Amino acid sequence: MKKEDTVKLISAEGFEFVIDKKAAMVSQTIRNMLTSPGSFAETEHGEVTFPEISTVILEKICQYFYWSLQYASGKETEFHIEPELTLELMMAANYLHT
Amino acid sequence: MNSNQKKRVFQIEAFKHKVVVDPKYADKTWKILEFAIHEIYNHNASGLSFEELYRNAYNMVLHKFGEKLYSGLVSTMTFHLQEISISIEAAQGGLFLEELDRKWTDHNKALQMIRDILMYMDRTFIPNTHKTPVHELGLNLWRDNIIHSGKIQTRLLTTLLELILRERIGEVINRGLMRNIIKMLMDLGPSVYQEDFEKPFLEVSADFYRAESQKFIDCCDCGDYLKKAERRLNEEIERVSHYLDPKSEIKITNVVEKEMIENHMLRLVHMENSGLVNMLLDDKYEDLGRMYNLFRRVPNGLSTIRDVMTSHLRNTGKLLVTDPERLTDPVEFVQCLLNERDKYDKIINLAFNNDKSFQNALNSSFEFFINLNPRSPEFISLFVDDKLRKGLKGVSEEDVELVLDKVMTLFRYLQEKDVFEKYYKQHLAKRLLSGKTVSDDAERSLIVKLKTECGYQFTSKLEGMFTDMKTSQDTMQEFYAAHGAELGDGATLTVQVLTTGSWPTQPSVSCDLPAEMSALCEKFRSYYLGTHTGRRLTWQTNMGTADLKATFGKGQRHELNVSTYQMCVLVLFNNADRLSYKEIEQTTEIPSSDLKRCLQSLACVKGKNVLRKEPMSKDIGEEDAFFVNDKFTSKFYKVKIGTVVAQKESEPEKQETRQRVEEDRKPQIEAAIVRIMKSRRVLDHNNIITEVTKQLQSRFLANPGEIKKRMESLIERDFLERDTADRRLYRYLA
Repeated sequence: MKKEDTVKLISAEGFEFVIDKKAAMVSQTIRNMLTSPGSFAETEHGEVTFPEISTVILEKICQYFYWSLQYASGKETEFHIEPELTLELMMAANYLHT
Repeated sequence: MNSNQKKRVFQIEAFKHKVVVDPKYADKTWKILEFAIHEIYNHNASGLSFEELYRNAYNMVLHKFGEKLYSGLVSTMTFHLQEISISIEAAQGGLFLEELDRKWTDHNKALQMIRDILMYMDRTFIPNTHKTPVHELGLNLWRDNIIHSGKIQTRLLTTLLELILRERIGEVINRGLMRNIIKMLMDLGPSVYQEDFEKPFLEVSADFYRAESQKFIDCCDCGDYLKKAERRLNEEIERVSHYLDPKSEIKITNVVEKEMIENHMLRLVHMENSGLVNMLLDDKYEDLGRMYNLFRRVPNGLSTIRDVMTSHLRNTGKLLVTDPERLTDPVEFVQCLLNERDKYDKIINLAFNNDKSFQNALNSSFEFFINLNPRSPEFISLFVDDKLRKGLKGVSEEDVELVLDKVMTLFRYLQEKDVFEKYYKQHLAKRLLSGKTVSDDAERSLIVKLKTECGYQFTSKLEGMFTDMKTSQDTMQEFYAAHGAELGDGATLTVQVLTTGSWPTQPSVSCDLPAEMSALCEKFRSYYLGTHTGRRLTWQTNMGTADLKATFGKGQRHELNVSTYQMCVLVLFNNADRLSYKEIEQTTEIPSSDLKRCLQSLACVKGKNVLRKEPMSKDIGEEDAFFVNDKFTSKFYKVKIGTVVAQKESEPEKQETRQRVEEDRKPQIEAAIVRIMKSRRVLDHNNIITEVTKQLQSRFLANPGEIKKRMESLIERDFLERDTADRRLYRYLA
């Protein structure tokens, strides 16, 4: 995988998730970060830090990105969410415009 | 993650650890964002973290500081735009547009970035408070602070218009820059483009073209002017495609059309020595085509061309058909008409886009002037006669069809088709009887055309003539098969049995045939009546021909092809050397006018004068005497002696034909009246006239006076009656 095709997402605790740009862009917010005409730090380094999103949630989010791509391409499966994560996950979704 | 949530209702709250206590929180956060916006405008954004800015904006909105964020954005952006405005104003001369363009690009990019980091506000705060979204806000601020700033607004407009003017007079300008600036105006909304550019642009263009067209029209001829106008029009269209709003095309072309064409239309068309009439005369297809295409764009343009063409066509046509010179040669006359038609056909085809309305104008003009000359039907028939006698010899079948089709177009213009039929019948009869017709196929093809044009009734008699010819041939074969042996080597007789009614027979006095011939004729009569009972045969000696073998004084032998009358005269000289006119007339009983003509052709035509007459003169007198011309020579063995016939009808003949036509019309008019009244039962006078005229249109133009006479005759014969109450009404009596 080429470096340009991936992006590194960093959680509040400092965990790094390297995922496909294509998957990350499921989030409208991340999409804007990576495509905005001015060269912001995120675009230049290919990494985004989320100081308000915990590792557990960010992991779930990354899973969701890939699930969403599959779902969009016609593979209709269930996406399981543990009840205790639900609230935080929804707030992150609002933030990420997903 | 909205797609697959568990179906439970959640209350969304802000992040709990961010329940803000710091009263300066909003100010502090705004400062960060304000700084970022400055940095973005200063091209210094690379160090900024998108996530941080987005998070700050997000939190501000979330914590109900949206209003502060929004107003802060407006004032920060306004501040930057005012700076930009000053730097644009400072740009010198030609750099002005470039600076404007550069700043516009910068502003657009900055705006994009600002919108991205403030996206959360755009998404939630703005729709809820019904404020202008960030992007649109940026454009509006640009419009108000830059484009509508006092020093820039007029300068921008004059710069743009000046550049366009320079391009119009042939200079090369930076079209890319123009396109960018115009695009900017369009991006700022249609009203900005229209008010700040398009409207003044159209006004200036109108002035420009008004002046230019005035200059051109004073110094150019029509063709050149049209070329220039066309070029200008194309230039404007090209300009629009390069750097204006496509919607402007129709507006600017309208301006050019109005100023360059519509305002000068009549002057152009009637321009001396180069106007429409001259173009038509000189077949200037290209100029005519250009005129058509340009004039088509303006109201009444095409009708102007059409009217001028029609009146020109009518005038020339009128001159043509009433020119006494032309009338001397009917074939030439018709050829002229055909040429004229071909010429205009080609013009309409090549230059006028085969426009239906022009074709109609052409047709109506021809109809108008062809019928101005009452002899047109006769001449057209004569033309066909000429073609079918000799004109079409050695011409391919397709060409024959072509000529016939052209004749048919002229035929269609005729109002008095029945007159044509009369003449055509006469001419056809002559052709058939004298065996002069070049091609049977061509004859039949024309008849078929006439049939499709005018119906079965029109041609039934003509077809009857063909049938007679064929039956006669068969009859002759049978006659010779039956009697050939007893006839021996004497004269041979060929009889064509013509059905009365189908042929244009003239009631003619039979002449006295030479004894040998009459015997033969009698034989045929008894044979024919023997096979066909209940028929009557009369001899039409005025229509026959004969081949004679003659030996002259020094033993020259010739075969003479002569008419039956001439044959009768010549046979007399077998037994006499000198005969006076009176003697000939008495023995042959040929009507005197025919006899004079036949003697004239025997004695007075140079090279064919088998007879000699005393005194030598051009005309035949009652006192003349005739001798065999022993000195007759000819390089041909066969000598054809034509009868001196006026090809055209002479004045009394014309009168006669006319009269016969009028006679024939009477029953047709009556039949039409009866047909109409039978279906309508009651009708008033004017309506009857219209209906009858309409019904007979395909054959002739009925004269209202004549219709009235026919109606009176029908009343006399108890077909119709006048209504007792209303005298204008007529009633059909079954």
